[in-house]
Amino acid sequence: MKIPRLLRVLASACLIALTLSKVASAAETKAAGNRKVAVVVSTLNNPWFVVLANAARDRAKELGYNAVVFDSQNDPAKEAQHFDNLISAGYSAVLFNCTDAKGSIANVRRAKAAGIPVFCMDREIEANDAATSQILSDNYSGCVALGQYFVEVVGEEGKYVELLGLVADTNTWNRSKGFHSVVDRFPGLKMVAQQSADFDRTKALEVLEAILQAHPDINAVFCGNDAMAMGAYQALLAAGKAGKVKVFGFDGADDVVKAVAEGKIAATVMQFPKTMARTAAENADRYIKGERNFPQRTPVAVELVNRETVHKFGDYGRK
Amino acid sequence: MGAPAGGNARREPFVAWPVIVAGVVFAGLLVAFPPFRIVTKRAGDAPAANASTGVAAVAAFDAVAFAEKFWSDQLAPAAARAPGATLLLADLRRDPAAAAKTHAHRVGLGNAAFYFVRGTGRVTAVERSRLLLEIDGSVVALRTGPVFGNVVRDGCGLLDVNQVPGLTEFNALSAELNRLVEARVQPPLKTVAIGATITFAGCAEAPESLPAAGPLLTFIPVTVEVTP
Repeated sequence: MKIPRLLRVLASACLIALTLSKVASAAETKAAGNRKVAVVVSTLNNPWFVVLANAARDRAKELGYNAVVFDSQNDPAKEAQHFDNLISAGYSAVLFNCTDAKGSIANVRRAKAAGIPVFCMDREIEANDAATSQILSDNYSGCVALGQYFVEVVGEEGKYVELLGLVADTNTWNRSKGFHSVVDRFPGLKMVAQQSADFDRTKALEVLEAILQAHPDINAVFCGNDAMAMGAYQALLAAGKAGKVKVFGFDGADDVVKAVAEGKIAATVMQFPKTMARTAAENADRYIKGERNFPQRTPVAVELVNRETVHKFGDYGRK
Repeated sequence: MGAPAGGNARREPFVAWPVIVAGVVFAGLLVAFPPFRIVTKRAGDAPAANASTGVAAVAAFDAVAFAEKFWSDQLAPAAARAPGATLLLADLRRDPAAAAKTHAHRVGLGNAAFYFVRGTGRVTAVERSRLLLEIDGSVVALRTGPVFGNVVRDGCGLLDVNQVPGLTEFNALSAELNRLVEARVQPPLKTVAIGATITFAGCAEAPESLPAAGPLLTFIPVTVEVTP
């Protein structure tokens, strides 16, 4: 079949035009993609992490980026899927709150290999060569201060329970070690149970209810975060022991700060999620604009919140 | 009689240049804007060290050895040349916030600030876990009981978290420094009596405001000399 010359020329021109339009479209998409920042957070089932994620997202938006929050639901497999998706979608940076200090390293490395910098917030990954920077709460110091206050208000003798967070999270152990670095110096203080409640309020309630069956005579409960502190308080309330057993938390969540003011919770430790999130977003912006010299880890000081200091705190930070 | 239809018709010559041009342009665009990238993953492909810190992969960390070396090589010489406490205490009494700006150093982000000074004072009280010293009219405390927290690690201003593999190791270092204070520095203070003179170098957390009562600062001593 003969194809007129003019038709062939037109077909070629159409092909070129089509190709150019596709390429232009792809370039536009890439340009838009260059303004995208992913906020990958361990869970949105805890108000503290909602504040962290929203503060990161909002600061990234203020800096001119399209910011999307990905909820890993405390599931490393979901977190890995999020990284697959954001790598293929061509995000410019990841503001990252990991589910697992060791297990999440591979995700950060994959993003790095794809040219996407990762900025850790609050939770540390146990690698110095994967993330661009890590903005981390000084959990150990916070729990040293909490431990000293614990000894002050509980006394140098008594029985207590420790509710641990996620066992794969370094924050869990930094908090526990900070607390024990003080409390273990007082042999009269006996830990009758130490159990994980995964930083979860409902699990903390269930775990402490079970512990109270075996140890109804405890004096205090040290919880690795505020969600568990609220769960522990509910369990004590149900057992008629609220007010008699002192509860200690960690995070500075709004409901617990109010509970400290009301005398329901003895103390918590204020982390500064907004400071961490905003700093991570600003570091990402500086990276995208060409800066490369970031300290691997930057600790963020935390502060004890008790009845004497509670008036200084609110809305996940200092008033 | 006419010629058979099509038998002698001339074939239109094939003009290839538009197709070639289109192909070249298309190939050029594919090179310029590749639709996908292949990233080679190698198991042993450790990325380079962090540019700012020089810290490479997490290595085994010996907090005891690190603390010993740090104590002898850096902390002890720094304690010998630490600024005097007199000026700090005078500034602190006038305005704690201004004193912090002038004399304190901060670690990371946040409100925590620390002083690292040297001073000489007379013992005015001996308590369960501290001594009270009078220095030029100001009262400060020297801790003699168990040492907790990161006041020495962060207060001396000589250590950074990026010098060690991670936060866990940084905390282990802090605990080890506290142990050294208890083992090496505090013992002579346990038998001190009121009226003795003590020369010390130590670290203290900077207060946000002046305390309503009690000492202006509580120092964790890193060196002491006692004159009964």
